[in-house]
Amino acid sequence: MKRVLGDDWVLPALDALNRAFFTSDVLTLQQCSRCRHIQHPPEDVCESCQSFELGNFASAGVGCVESVALVTQAVHPLLGDRVPYAIVLVSIADAPGILLTGNVVGVEPDDVRIGDPVTVVFEEVRDPRSGDEIRIPQWQVVRG
Amino acid sequence: MHGTAAVVGIGESTYYKRGESPYTEFQLACLAIQRAVADAGLALADVDGFVSFMDQRNGPLRLARALGLKELRWTGIPWAGGGNSMAAAMQIADAAVTSGHARHVVVFRALAQGQYGRFGQAGGGGGGGAYMGGPFAWNGTYGILTPAHQCALQTARFMHDHGISQEALCEIALACYANAQRNPRALRYGKTLTREQYHASRWIVHPFHLYDCCPENDGAAAVVVTTAERARDLPHRAATIVAAASGIGPQYGTYDVATLGSAHYRQVAKHLWEQAGCGPPDVDVAQFYENFTGPVLMALCELGFAPPDGIEEFVSGGRLAGPDAALPFNTSGGNIGEAYIHGFEMVNESVRQVRGESTCQVAHVERALVVAGPGYCPGSAVLFGAPA
Repeated sequence: MKRVLGDDWVLPALDALNRAFFTSDVLTLQQCSRCRHIQHPPEDVCESCQSFELGNFASAGVGCVESVALVTQAVHPLLGDRVPYAIVLVSIADAPGILLTGNVVGVEPDDVRIGDPVTVVFEEVRDPRSGDEIRIPQWQVVRG
Repeated sequence: MHGTAAVVGIGESTYYKRGESPYTEFQLACLAIQRAVADAGLALADVDGFVSFMDQRNGPLRLARALGLKELRWTGIPWAGGGNSMAAAMQIADAAVTSGHARHVVVFRALAQGQYGRFGQAGGGGGGGAYMGGPFAWNGTYGILTPAHQCALQTARFMHDHGISQEALCEIALACYANAQRNPRALRYGKTLTREQYHASRWIVHPFHLYDCCPENDGAAAVVVTTAERARDLPHRAATIVAAASGIGPQYGTYDVATLGSAHYRQVAKHLWEQAGCGPPDVDVAQFYENFTGPVLMALCELGFAPPDGIEEFVSGGRLAGPDAALPFNTSGGNIGEAYIHGFEMVNESVRQVRGESTCQVAHVERALVVAGPGYCPGSAVLFGAPA
């Protein structure tokens, strides 16, 4: 999928903590290998049992829009022809407690509602610097 | 340590539109500090500590040297966030003089964005190969770039959960503008705002119109904090620090299911009122940092002034504007009406209220509250009182 905010929009600088989230082909969250706690954003330490042994959790990528705001004023020149765009906080069905930030596809930006069911989709873009394939989770509204 | 410290001097520069200060940021800081020290009836050589907050660029050594301090014994800056720690800076000064680590601590804020560029401006730069790393990756990748965007997400959920209309946000802006009309220092002095102008103004990010967002300004404000005991020998009626609280937990992130639709002020409220031994009905006048109008509504609820389902009624019908308001609120005009000195102008205004010197003076002020920036954590608040 092409990028919601345009293929020139800024990319996440990949690091040890966010690489799995931004390069996997399923929604990948950080999970403690010892106590199985899932946390976001990823950290060096498990916030539940303080273990340093952290791995990944493959989520089914089903969520719910918990809040939405329609951005109408571009605060960066690259976003001038991208406004209005919707920014959302999404809760994840199989990872209760956490919220993910994102954008929405499948409906007009001004038609996104709190409570909308969503599933993960991925923006795919090659990092021009490293050559890495970056896959950025986004949210498709799936109203029944 | 309650009631053991007090503000004995206040000072500020002229406030300017962003980029219009004829002085450098450091000069603004020095002006405000010099005026606060003179107002306290002290000499610069009496000052032995500096406290500020949030990326303050005018460091204590540079200040101590330029202002000719005899010695510097205490420096402090609260960790994390931005304007949310404005009142936590007062807490650090309170701790310093109460413990005896310093005698006269200056707390200040200075900003000249024409000189240094804007605080909180969208980062990332050039595109086509630009990156956002660390904590910014989670927001910037999705075009969540400014505090307005982040506060809009919290406010939208709060409004949704409690059936709050746009009018409630409008009331905050109207009160700030109305009070600014009484204050010649205010940048909005002589510039009125009507409900119609508010609704006709452009959207920045829903649910924030232009007038829901505080402007960017240049200027500086400073206070001198010493012990309540020493304050008795100084010229002005002291504003006692009755309580100063900072807090967050057990959730620590900006976004969490458990704190969605909140301003992150529940812990601050608990500690503030416990320390103060009183509650919202005892507050005579309140200054709430309005980065944006919406988070003020959440902070008012979390501090205990009204339940979320009653907050719209609480702020409506002009109940916040003027000295005779049900809750006299942002009496100098606040960030929106007076000037956005990252909220520190509100500390000066609270001291004026305790002294009886405000341009929107409330009668018989015994308790004056300042609540720092909502929406970010850890939040902070300070309650001033008349001298014991």
